[in-house]
Amino acid sequence: MKRNLYFTENPKFPVWKNMKFLLVIGILFLGLNLSAQKITGNVKDAITGEPLIGATILEMDTNNGVISDLNGNFTIKVKSPDAKLKITYVGYADLILALDGKTNLELVLSPGTQLEDVVVTALGISREKKSLGYAVTELKGDDVTNSKESNVINGLAGRVPGLVMTKSAAGPGSSTRVVIRGNASLTGNNQPLYVVDGIPVDNSGFGSANGNGTANYLRVDYGSGISDINPDDIESISVLKGPNAAALYGSRASNGVILINTKKGSKNKGLGVTYSAHYSSENPLLLPEYQNKYGQGSNGTIDPDNLKNESSSWGPEMDGSSRPYWLGENKAYSAQPDNVKNFFRTGNNLVNTLAFDGGNDKATFRFSYSNSKINSILENSGLTRNNFNLRGSVNLTDKLSVDSKVTYFLQDAKNRPGQGTEGIMAYVYTMPRNVSIEDVKNNYKNAEGYSQSYNVLGSNPYWILNEDKNNDRKSRLQGFVKTTYKFTNHFSAFARVGTDYIDQNIETVNAHGHWYFPAGRFNYRDYKISETNADFLFMYDNNLTDDLGLNLNVGGNHRYVTATSQGVRGEEFKIPDKATVNSAVRTYPFYNPISEKIVNSLYGQASFSYKNFLYADLTARNDWSSTLPPDNWSYFYPSASLSMVLSELMDIKSLDFAKLRFSWAKVGSDTDPYKLKNAFQLASEDYLGQTILVPQSVQLNPNLKPEQTSSVEFGLEFKMFKNRLYGDISYYNNNTYDLITTVPVPPLTGYSSKFANVGNMNNKGFEVFLGATPVKTNDFTLDFSVNFSNNKNTLLELFEGVTNYVYTTTNDGQVTVLATVKGKEVNGEIANGGVGDIYGKDFLRNENGDIVVDSKGRPKSTSAKVYLGNYQPDYIYGFTVGANYKNFGFKMLFDGRVGGQLYSGTDARMDASGVSVRTLDHREPFVFDGVINTGTEDEPVWEKNTTEVSAQDYYSALSGVTSNYIYDQTNLRLRELSLTYKLPQSLMDNLPFKSASIGFVGRNLAFLYKKIDNFDPETSYSASNYAQGVLFYNLPTTRSLGVNLNVKF
Amino acid sequence: MKNNKFLILLFLLIGFMSCTSNFEEINKNPNDITSDAANPKYLLTGAEYKLYAPTRYTYWRANLIHADRYAGYFCFGNSGSWWNDELGYKYHSGYTNAAWDMYGSYFKYINSFLEVTSEEGGKYQNDKMYAVGLVLKSLFFQQYTDVFGDVPYSETGNTDILQPKYDEQKDIYTGIINDLNEAMAKIGDATTTGEGESDLGSNDVIFNGDLQKWKKLANALKLRVALRAYGASGADFATTAITEAMQGPFQEVGEDAVLTKDNSISQWNSASYADIWHRFGGKGSKWKVSETMVKYLKDNNDPRLPFYAEPAEGGSKSFKRPDASEDPDGYDKFPKRINFIKSVLEEAGAVFDFSMNEDSATFVIPENTYYIGQPTRLGAEIKKYARWEFFSSCKDYIVGLDENSNEIAPELVLTAAESFFLRAQAITMGLASGDANAMYQNGLRASMTYWGASDADVDNYLANASMGSLTGDKNSDLEKIGVQRWIAAYTDGYEGWSIVRKTGFPKELSQGVSDIDIFGLGDLNGKYPQRLRYGSKAYDLNGDQLQLAIDRQGPDVQATEVWWAK
Repeated sequence: MKRNLYFTENPKFPVWKNMKFLLVIGILFLGLNLSAQKITGNVKDAITGEPLIGATILEMDTNNGVISDLNGNFTIKVKSPDAKLKITYVGYADLILALDGKTNLELVLSPGTQLEDVVVTALGISREKKSLGYAVTELKGDDVTNSKESNVINGLAGRVPGLVMTKSAAGPGSSTRVVIRGNASLTGNNQPLYVVDGIPVDNSGFGSANGNGTANYLRVDYGSGISDINPDDIESISVLKGPNAAALYGSRASNGVILINTKKGSKNKGLGVTYSAHYSSENPLLLPEYQNKYGQGSNGTIDPDNLKNESSSWGPEMDGSSRPYWLGENKAYSAQPDNVKNFFRTGNNLVNTLAFDGGNDKATFRFSYSNSKINSILENSGLTRNNFNLRGSVNLTDKLSVDSKVTYFLQDAKNRPGQGTEGIMAYVYTMPRNVSIEDVKNNYKNAEGYSQSYNVLGSNPYWILNEDKNNDRKSRLQGFVKTTYKFTNHFSAFARVGTDYIDQNIETVNAHGHWYFPAGRFNYRDYKISETNADFLFMYDNNLTDDLGLNLNVGGNHRYVTATSQGVRGEEFKIPDKATVNSAVRTYPFYNPISEKIVNSLYGQASFSYKNFLYADLTARNDWSSTLPPDNWSYFYPSASLSMVLSELMDIKSLDFAKLRFSWAKVGSDTDPYKLKNAFQLASEDYLGQTILVPQSVQLNPNLKPEQTSSVEFGLEFKMFKNRLYGDISYYNNNTYDLITTVPVPPLTGYSSKFANVGNMNNKGFEVFLGATPVKTNDFTLDFSVNFSNNKNTLLELFEGVTNYVYTTTNDGQVTVLATVKGKEVNGEIANGGVGDIYGKDFLRNENGDIVVDSKGRPKSTSAKVYLGNYQPDYIYGFTVGANYKNFGFKMLFDGRVGGQLYSGTDARMDASGVSVRTLDHREPFVFDGVINTGTEDEPVWEKNTTEVSAQDYYSALSGVTSNYIYDQTNLRLRELSLTYKLPQSLMDNLPFKSASIGFVGRNLAFLYKKIDNFDPETSYSASNYAQGVLFYNLPTTRSLGVNLNVKF
Repeated sequence: MKNNKFLILLFLLIGFMSCTSNFEEINKNPNDITSDAANPKYLLTGAEYKLYAPTRYTYWRANLIHADRYAGYFCFGNSGSWWNDELGYKYHSGYTNAAWDMYGSYFKYINSFLEVTSEEGGKYQNDKMYAVGLVLKSLFFQQYTDVFGDVPYSETGNTDILQPKYDEQKDIYTGIINDLNEAMAKIGDATTTGEGESDLGSNDVIFNGDLQKWKKLANALKLRVALRAYGASGADFATTAITEAMQGPFQEVGEDAVLTKDNSISQWNSASYADIWHRFGGKGSKWKVSETMVKYLKDNNDPRLPFYAEPAEGGSKSFKRPDASEDPDGYDKFPKRINFIKSVLEEAGAVFDFSMNEDSATFVIPENTYYIGQPTRLGAEIKKYARWEFFSSCKDYIVGLDENSNEIAPELVLTAAESFFLRAQAITMGLASGDANAMYQNGLRASMTYWGASDADVDNYLANASMGSLTGDKNSDLEKIGVQRWIAAYTDGYEGWSIVRKTGFPKELSQGVSDIDIFGLGDLNGKYPQRLRYGSKAYDLNGDQLQLAIDRQGPDVQATEVWWAK
């Protein structure tokens, strides 16, 4: 754990790159001591055994001090053999000890409570937080991974201001959308760059849920890259929020960077063995509320002839009498209040991890193996994962060291659910209230082997679970080798090569007898992606004068990305139960040859420090991207930041620390391969055996320029009352312009869209983090922290004549989610401007504001779609309570959102089919409070409506007025509750363990407040831009309860 | 010394990192066919089939839900259907947009074929191919403007104009006639577009590269367009165009322009009725043949009837009267609605058992015996009484014999029958001289033969049916021609709908519906739909130009008549 790259062996010239907050200035007065006694020693981390570099060793009551070197060694001359030494190191508890005549010391420091003071920044450089001119949030592995979320990123929820997370509702192994400081790009994925141990990893996802298909028929989320990381391997996570923090990562950092550092072996003597186990069970957190009074039927009657045509619950009151039933014979007509609830089983998650680690002064290693078995809440659905991770480092000489890692990941997912109007929940949520789920389950196919259900219009969910197949296997190999060479005490360099290779095989089968594809069909496909990065960095660190320090880093990166895919679709099985290629009457193979992309980069960073209070950073980077045309493929971008430690200037008693920061950055960004020149393509299918060439519908652009983001950030950090109260406040304003976007154009131009540099997107907002430790005794500590943030996203310009960009349209066309240009007219209204505007139908009102009804007395809806909301929340917030009492640790996390809307198509359909509890109202015919036009269209005469409307007609009209199903996302939820007990050390002496702990953890436990009735407002189909703002037959999110066991041998 | 080594190393690394030598090479897509390898004949096939056999999405939403039903060929709204037959008569952006977007996404096919073959086209420049492209372009724009009215025309295909203006329909029609004239002049006496690679040959899936057939098609289309324009304000060009077109050449019996369907292509790429009929799940998406169609065929003993429709399944069905308190309207109107269904069955000539009392009604209809069409535009409330089993389905041949059908009815482009009827119409209208009745009867023969009727049946019809010949009474003759054009265009909903709008025949359709207890009146208050509303993208992407068109043409609603129907 290298915390600092700077060190000194000569106490006369103590130099440091990063000034320590508690460092005593007195160490400058050295060499004055006379009757000196030479003491040598070594400082290590109490847990990992790693040497602590740059720890301050001070002779108490003097100005005499030194700093430990790269190996943690130090030599200090003390005046008296009885002197006391104080050893300090940022992030660690101070250590004071009397020499008592000892001349050789082995010292260990324990991590203290101020871990946030040193953070990992861009390029993996650890820096003192106070020297940074931009916001970084670092979280320790335990904080994030305690809950053993199957996607480790979900553990960040509620902990990082400015980070909006939206989970896919697709269950285990699905993706999570993470947006830091707003959506910067229109068509880019807006996801941060993930960097693991210095190596960028691919986080793209496959599947319909990620595509830019615009409807909501059937969307499957096959997960994204970051969920493949084993939580148990994580040491820490840093969130670099803006381009300012991430300027050195270049193109992909404009959406921020999430840096993940994994664990290394410790230098403990002997072999350390850690075993941890986690078991949790999960259930739906929230299911819709149903009425249990009226059953299957229509307009109050059960028509046996039409029973299966009328799949709605508009029948008579369920009185238990014997009535026609969908299976043909009569059955008691009574409510099945739990038929939806009982569709789900209790899911569970078992994770076993075994880790070995060890090392000595020369070398360390760590090996871990983790196995997860997850059974989802859907029958016959879940996944298995195996992670193998080997990390080793060795100091070959005093100057040369090597660090390397290899990770192999294998995941098998079974029956990933499809969501949407042809997805599995389409046949569950609106099930008539008298239909028994057991009957649906036991009769999912008819005697001929075809799907059947309680109505003639839809499939059976158990058919999908039991007969169809949606499996995928993902294997992934990641690794790197890094060589570091220390030329001098002030000058070192590393070179590193890392690669990430993903192979995902997806097999989808609609079995013979399937509702929509009775002849059967399959889609087998395989995607391979690789990314290799080779980089180097020269690091120079020295003090130019006593007051002025300089740290200089110069490096470069060569990035090579490939992608290829192949597969075959087939239709109509010759042998009905054989879904093989040769069994298909028609097959459609495809193969995409390997596409390549290279980005070469050179960059440099200069950091200056003046005394303890002024820090300045300058960075510069130039990229050369193969995806851009020759004139534009080289692009340069700089950043600058300044940090002032005000507390060094002012002497305010209760103020321990205060810092002001300011930064400015620019980041350029490129695009995907093959975006420059148009050509024809061969069609995947001939027509009547004739070869077909297809013109591209996107006009590509030979003059493409890099996309640009510029960002300004201000911030204030403070600590008061001996660090009992602390806070961090940021304001930022980012503009992305020359967005590389496929802009839709009128297709009669010859193209349906144009690939161009257009537009200007602005994101601005603030982030606040406040923490307090009101109680701190030896036995008991109590911590509170709260964070909240706001982001305002505005699309200022797009393209001549284009007022909006459509992300998704519900397949009935009633609701669209789009980005609108501020001030432009969209459907006759002036748009707010921004990503995520939701447009749909509202009640049609006359000029007096009265709702207009039709001749049947049903409320009418507007013919044009009107603005109904935006899916981006106004505020997100989190609140944590932590308490430690002796060996008990307790943690509670609340989080939520304020503002932001979403459309629930599920609620609309539940109303239309008479199953929702809302439809208990107006079951008797009633007169809707509206007006009717008895005049002409041009000269309307409004009269009060007097026509009675039946419940069925009313709700069917209501469900088309989509404004009724726009819900506010505002909520407060108990995100996490955990209790950990660490077995006392005294007990360990009698047990073969070094340490042991047991913990109970609950995730996503309850809503304390929410505005939407039936669904979790923070979910979507997937992490994609194209899957947000609409819930349509989504799965419920889950509540999990689990236990963690951790033992070290 | 040591420092020099660093510097060398550093410069080497810097040199490597800024290397761009292979960038252009790796950014070339191996799947690309660049224009020097793109023989336009490979572009023609797509341009042909995408217009007449588009994707499943379009075929379903645009062709079936709108055109075929507005044309009065097919009906939803029976008891098995997902919707009542008001669907589409009530504006629904999702469905309308599918039609608008179809024409938009189609344009690139014809546009790139014209670009590559035009005089500026380079290596593959070919006058004759260009002429074929112009005919196809004319077919496209005729359909496009007939559906929506004013659409972009003169400023299309130009990426420098991102907000193309909407041309008046009159100008589009003029442009079409000019293009057709140019195409026919370019074709002249040529029979092929060239030899070897320059021959369209089998890549022309409509005419197999036979240019004279293209010329006949162009001429018939010119006559169609001119007759449609005739009588509209400012259509001065129509009379000349009719006179010119009447000189021929014209398609003979058997020279129908049709597109053979590919039965192995993925239905997502190119759909057919068979796909939707068999693969959409249950009866929800299936349709019935209209009452109007069955009536005209049946009343005249038309030999096409068994090729157009199947006898109704029939059987015994009982209906319970709705509960008076739950559904007062349903209770009150029960007798009226049942009697309406009963009258439909009776008018179709069915002999069946019927009984009705206070609480219920029962029909017992002989199975697979009678051809019974379903009334168009039935409303939601009558849907449950309009039993699936009461009405005739399409002939198997049209919807495919089964889901694995090897036989799918071709798509009509412009039939020989139509070209005869057009001439009969021009003569009857006094715009040309000739034997109108002969043309009319040739048209009947061409259509009936096309659908599979025997010569004897055709002869019998021509001799005996009241619709079998013209009488010289202009008004009734024009009605017969209109109705027969409509019957002959069966399954080509776009053309059928235009015929009804322009000629007013069959009048059962053009007069609309009015009884709200029986029918769904839609947004049109029962009137016949005159156009589709523009798609949402028209507003989003080119709103200013669109607004100019709306200001000129009339409100963007289904009731606004297009120029030639005004």
